[in-house]
Amino acid sequence: MRGYRALARATARAALAYRFSLLLGMVAVLVQLVALLAVWHVILEQSPMNGFTWPQMRAYLLVAFAAGTVVSILGDFRMAFRILDGDVALDLVKPVDYQKARLAESLGGLWIELALISLVVGVTLAVTGGVDLPPGPGLALFAASMLILVPLKFLIVYVSTLACFWTQNFMGVQWARLAVVNLFSGALIPLVFLPGWLATVAQWSPFAGLTSTPALIFLGQVDGREALQLVAVQLGWVLVLWFGARLVWRAALRRLTVNGG
Amino acid sequence: MPIVEARGLTKVFRRPDKGSGLGGAVKHLFARRYSDKVAVDHVDLSIEAGEAVAYVGPNGAGKSTTVKLLSGILVPTSGEVRINGLHPQRDRNTVAYQIGVLFGQRTQLWWDLPVSESLAVLRDIYGVDHATYRKRLARFDEVLELGEILPVIGRKLSLGQRMRADLAAALVHGPQVVYLDEPTIGLDLAVKDRVREFFRSLRDEGTTVMLTSHDLADIEGFCRRLVIIDQGRIIFDGDLEGVKDTFARERILHVETARPLPLEAVRAALPGAEINIEETPLRYAVRFDRFVMTAGQVVTVLATLTELVDFRVDEPSIEDVIRRVYSGDLVLPR
Amino acid sequence: MRLYLRLLGAHFRSMMEYETDFLILAAATVLMQVVNIVFLSALFAKVPVLNGWTFWSVLMMFGAVALAEGVGSLFFDGMWSLAWQINRGELDYFLVRPYPVALQVSSAALGINGLSNIVTGGLMIAAGLAHSAVDWTPWRVALAVLLLLSSVVIKVSINLATNAVCFWLNSPSPMFAFAMHQVGDLARFPLSIYPVALKAVLGVVLPFAFISFFPIAYLLDTGSSQWVGLLTPVAAVYCAAVAALIFRRGLRRYESAGN
Repeated sequence: MRGYRALARATARAALAYRFSLLLGMVAVLVQLVALLAVWHVILEQSPMNGFTWPQMRAYLLVAFAAGTVVSILGDFRMAFRILDGDVALDLVKPVDYQKARLAESLGGLWIELALISLVVGVTLAVTGGVDLPPGPGLALFAASMLILVPLKFLIVYVSTLACFWTQNFMGVQWARLAVVNLFSGALIPLVFLPGWLATVAQWSPFAGLTSTPALIFLGQVDGREALQLVAVQLGWVLVLWFGARLVWRAALRRLTVNGG
Repeated sequence: MPIVEARGLTKVFRRPDKGSGLGGAVKHLFARRYSDKVAVDHVDLSIEAGEAVAYVGPNGAGKSTTVKLLSGILVPTSGEVRINGLHPQRDRNTVAYQIGVLFGQRTQLWWDLPVSESLAVLRDIYGVDHATYRKRLARFDEVLELGEILPVIGRKLSLGQRMRADLAAALVHGPQVVYLDEPTIGLDLAVKDRVREFFRSLRDEGTTVMLTSHDLADIEGFCRRLVIIDQGRIIFDGDLEGVKDTFARERILHVETARPLPLEAVRAALPGAEINIEETPLRYAVRFDRFVMTAGQVVTVLATLTELVDFRVDEPSIEDVIRRVYSGDLVLPR
Repeated sequence: MRLYLRLLGAHFRSMMEYETDFLILAAATVLMQVVNIVFLSALFAKVPVLNGWTFWSVLMMFGAVALAEGVGSLFFDGMWSLAWQINRGELDYFLVRPYPVALQVSSAALGINGLSNIVTGGLMIAAGLAHSAVDWTPWRVALAVLLLLSSVVIKVSINLATNAVCFWLNSPSPMFAFAMHQVGDLARFPLSIYPVALKAVLGVVLPFAFISFFPIAYLLDTGSSQWVGLLTPVAAVYCAAVAALIFRRGLRRYESAGN
């Protein structure tokens, strides 16, 4: 446990050293927030659509921004470069579990992400007006969902980064992941706007838990049993991916040790 | 007119001072402090066409920085450089055809291309015609045995191969002036010898060469002129052999005797010489100035005082002289 | 020009060695554009027009941004390694060769993903134009080509200028330029939906709007200030000049490495 705490602390410190780079790296998510706010403001100003009013859509987009910012820094790039350079061999001789170690590192960067989220959400609300909080149980469920989102997002990033054992091209894998996550999580557009079949696929995919689930709970668009079910799916994917990632890792390791990288 | 001329050349680097650890990093956020490091300090240098110059100094003395200033890579903080009367930044393109640069620590080869392709790209950049290019390659091949490494991809070259290929890359366009910055660093002896031979052939063809190195074996037998830089300042600029004549005048005679030497008697017989007892019994070192007495005289004197078993004369190399200059033992006149 | 292609071409051959890698990259780029199109059609399935702009015209703006970006990647990808090269002192050899340093930098890599962006972007523009009521005269065709070229020049110039900022930043990664590149994505939507401050940024400070919105507004004869689109070539010249100036200034600050 001490080892993992040390890793988390190391990332926390690194986050400070690289703060400008990190903040600049978040511009992508921020730009998407600004663009979508502007688009939906124009569209929803007169009349609500698909059950979304303008204040609701604004809240949705803010949750999407927060979800998109969490666990987005440091981890994947560094991990990818260590794999591509072969430095990953050095990680293997350390007495820590690789997957847990990477999770610890991701958690270490959370503080700067949370700071940025508070800033952006605060500024947006100040400029465009406040949002309604859901009632008590909804809020608790929202908090739970956001909490589950952290390991879920880590795992999706982690598994896709393991692809570096098979391809030199980290950028390609990362872009593909970003594209898929953007669409299927509902970050780009709420899932109800998608054609029925696509919406269903997205709903049950691990990606919905990255934006759609917490956002819909926050807006109160789902509640009670339905909300619980969504969070259960989210949690289920965390478990599946956690153990699935171990299988991928074992295959990667075999590749590394057999082929010598 | 000199082909390379620097006047009052100065380069100051500005570096942020960061404290260590988290505290230092936070502090740096609020109060930025900088320190200036003078890498090159009012250097005057002029090199005539066809000259071969050794530019030596300890690590961090400003050798590489000078070379970068002279090739127009760095803009001087003050002072100026002229290559054939041209300004290396303003007339970058013209100057580029006239100079060739090799940084031993850095390659200019494309890491993902075979050496032959890297050289061909450079040929096209410099607009060298194919016949001339082939002639040059053949010549490089003679001394550097380039042929065997032409098909190798840049990143797969060993250090010695890389250096040979980089030498060719720096000279593809037949520059009039060549700066070689630590061109033998990290090489094994066999490659070093080959590379040194190549330098000599360059010099003999009349190319102006400036060689920086801290391996002094690189410069012995290569150039006439020696420039020594220390802490950014030129502390000596003159004839290499002259340095030897003037400062390497000291000789040391090591003797082994059958019985202990009567030291007082030796001192009386050899005024000006210095006698030291060495660690092994019956061994002595006699330091003397070769312009005051000859080794033969010293041996003769000692032989009259005791029975000599063995003796040997040491003559200091240029390396010793420069080492003593670095360490401040020896002050050279400017 | 020939030398530039020669430099790029040298990389092309070595890239072909990693066939799967660049297929992945090309596929990922296409996937990103597909997601964009799905998003746009989902959005416009519910609303016929966005501030007066139809699906097809917004698609053209997405296409124009993709195309300009694609040209930037395919032919000028080396700019993105400028920060790294400055940090490692790798410009040394560029500076002693008789070829413009900026061109040596930008030809140092070839982004094959640019090819898929050029193709998908081109298709999006073509699809948009096919659904527009533009009255094509030779003069208009020539103008459209000029606008397109200018749009590409603007994108590449902004890339160069923002990457050259690394001469001042001392960062080994092109984060600043990348962030500005992301800001450019705002120009995929009609400028008219944004608040005034943002219009000023995208129209003047970082004139991304001249890559997509202004020229398309002029061509499609839509919106309230179509004439601005005619200024696109002027904006291109301006951007190129500023980029060259920033790069040249930055180069003077270059300190090599190992000090």
